[in-house]
Amino acid sequence: MDEGRYREWLDLWTDDAQYWVPCNDDDIDPAKQVSIIYDDRDRLTQRVERLLSGSVLSQQPRPRMRRVVSNIEIGPASGAEVTVESNFVLGVARNGTKHVWIGRSIHQLREDGGTLKIARKKVLLIDNDQEIPLLQFLI
Amino acid sequence: MIDVGNLIQGTRIHGSLYRDPEVFERELNEIWYKVWVYVGHESEIPNRGDFVRRMIGRQPVIVVRGADGTVRAFFNRCRHRGNMVCHADRGNTAAFTCPYHGWTYSTAGALQQPTFEDGYDSKLRREDFGLVPLPRLDAYRGLIFASVSPEGITLDEHLGGAKEFIDLFMDLSPAGRVSLTAGNQKVRYAGNWKFMPENSMEGDYHGPFIHKVAFELHSKKTGFDVSSLYENEIPDVIRSLPGGHMVEDYRGATIAPPKRPPSAARIAYADAMKRAYGEEKAGKLLGTMAPLIYIFPNLMYLMTHIRVIAPVSVNETFVYYQPMLLDGVPDEINEERLRMHEFMFGAAGFISPDDIEIMERIQTAVNAGGNEWLFIGRGAHRDTVLPDGGSTGYTMDENHIRGFWQHYSGVMNAGA
Repeated sequence: MDEGRYREWLDLWTDDAQYWVPCNDDDIDPAKQVSIIYDDRDRLTQRVERLLSGSVLSQQPRPRMRRVVSNIEIGPASGAEVTVESNFVLGVARNGTKHVWIGRSIHQLREDGGTLKIARKKVLLIDNDQEIPLLQFLI
Repeated sequence: MIDVGNLIQGTRIHGSLYRDPEVFERELNEIWYKVWVYVGHESEIPNRGDFVRRMIGRQPVIVVRGADGTVRAFFNRCRHRGNMVCHADRGNTAAFTCPYHGWTYSTAGALQQPTFEDGYDSKLRREDFGLVPLPRLDAYRGLIFASVSPEGITLDEHLGGAKEFIDLFMDLSPAGRVSLTAGNQKVRYAGNWKFMPENSMEGDYHGPFIHKVAFELHSKKTGFDVSSLYENEIPDVIRSLPGGHMVEDYRGATIAPPKRPPSAARIAYADAMKRAYGEEKAGKLLGTMAPLIYIFPNLMYLMTHIRVIAPVSVNETFVYYQPMLLDGVPDEINEERLRMHEFMFGAAGFISPDDIEIMERIQTAVNAGGNEWLFIGRGAHRDTVLPDGGSTGYTMDENHIRGFWQHYSGVMNAGA
């Protein structure tokens, strides 16, 4: 994600993928409330295609970014799935400014053809109820 | 003192209008603290005691539905020592209590209790210390506007010809009612607030350039092709209304219909529209795209949402995208609208972030000074001036941006 390896990242997802960044609060009903990101596999693929097209202006040039993932908690496995929660701090540097994104990720991982894939990822930004700058990369 | 008239010369705009702190201060006094400013929608505060916290320029404001059901707006400031009495973004309350010294106000703004009242002499009259209401408040179709100035034209006069266009997007609901209850995407950008209306209302000209890939992705997925909009430029799409309002009216344009058959929810929606408005009007409302509109200075309707502009400083702006849900339609229709909205708008959408990136780049360029003039001359030779003083232009023309600046110039120089 930090190195722009978008296609490889897309391959990590199951076909019924759900990539979700809620807006205004961590627990909302996406059928009735707007999200910052609420991607199914098709929308996720579009997101990656758009990034790869080179047409995303705020990614020209691509910002330098690095994230630290910590406080990893692995939940009990249920069938082929397991929930993994973690915290992240992501620094994004561009045009002489740095912005720090902070949040908690909840991954629902599923065994799929001998490997673990991401079935769901929910990202709880600490500032999802505040005025945020553009989020045009993978969080 | 700056003569704004010298900085706005028909088809050219001076860069200092986007970077000069003195211009921004004048805008606060002559625009934000004088004219009608949009502060919220009635669906956000449906119940007695519901409130939202908003800003008008630098003024923190509370919009609240009182215990008597009446909507009021107050300066969000305790009459004792000036602390904000409301710090929550939204909520429901029986009263506003200042946390500093405990002064408590009713939802109608009346001071109920200055604490330790026996320490004040008998001259302290509670009725002199109620929350200060915004001098003027009015609403049109649920859209609430307030003015910091006690004087000026009525809201009806301010909206003028814009009302007809507000009706068109409100009537996308068979009940004629919309709800702004689906949350609020909040975005900040390092640029002047005026870039937002200028950019948002000329999408046909910049669309084929900065939104090309998003349009293609959308078209591939849905079959809905917008390229006909700019490939067949036609008259009367772009409209400038008196009052600085801007419109993009696509009702006369040919837009290729989606290739997919309509869903059961779409059919039910179309039926509800026919029942509400009759076959002909329903066909027109659903068969064309509702005109996009900007209401001077801070309100927009664009396809999926109500957008609100809040200036922070001369080079920083907050923008709020509130998806507009339609009352009286199947849930699937509103869910589709939300997913469509997320595709295009907000910090992680595929359309508006490219606009915002451009605004930040223009800000960097105009900050430098020198080579000052920006050009807004497209279509100036073929403006059709209307009897109301507005004008129309072709699909990619800039007559509405010229109208915006002409109005801005008049308002800014009114107090000079």
